[in-house]
Amino acid sequence: MNLGFVIGVLGVLILSHAAYSTIQYRGLLKITEEEFSGPPMNVVLELIIGLALCMWAALTFPGKFLSIHPDSDENRAVSLPDNSDFMIFNHRGRLFPPEIDMKF
Amino acid sequence: MGSSEKRSKDAMSDIPTFSGENLQNNLKVIQNSRTFLSIIAGVLAGIIGFTGLTGFVFYFVVMLITSVGLMAKAGFSADLYFDSWNRVLFDGFLGGLMSFVLFWTYP
Repeated sequence: MNLGFVIGVLGVLILSHAAYSTIQYRGLLKITEEEFSGPPMNVVLELIIGLALCMWAALTFPGKFLSIHPDSDENRAVSLPDNSDFMIFNHRGRLFPPEIDMKF
Repeated sequence: MGSSEKRSKDAMSDIPTFSGENLQNNLKVIQNSRTFLSIIAGVLAGIIGFTGLTGFVFYFVVMLITSVGLMAKAGFSADLYFDSWNRVLFDGFLGGLMSFVLFWTYP
């Protein structure tokens, strides 16, 4: 429940009100026997506002983009593991240098 | 030693490396945005009363605006978040078209 979600719900409500108004307008046109050429002006205004709100919600609500570069600031591991007290490097294995030169 | 280092460096520069999980997350975000907005576009086209080819043109216009919005969300630097621009422009286009046609009804 954040701001984007609330704005999206508001936009959908405005759009449903616009749809209801259009249904009523079409009923009126059916009574007076005229042709439907386009929705009235206030409905068009509601549609534009609803579209803008829903666009805002669709661009903010689904989440943020995460960087895919492995060397960017967000993807670096900055904390050591908790059991680093039990890691021992002063053992016999250090006499044999590793064959792979790994780069970190 | 020097040659092996050079070779590993070449391999590092040749192969594009990126975080797959974050790329998946970004694609999911794009998919959600497009699905929601195609539903909204279908509702709008129904209310305005578009028929035939005009409605599809309307869908293309809305998706174009969505693409611009997604680019702005990515800060106009796609190589930081995606492996190519086509991800931003075309992902979820056809699936959104199905949702659009489903919601494109006249009141």
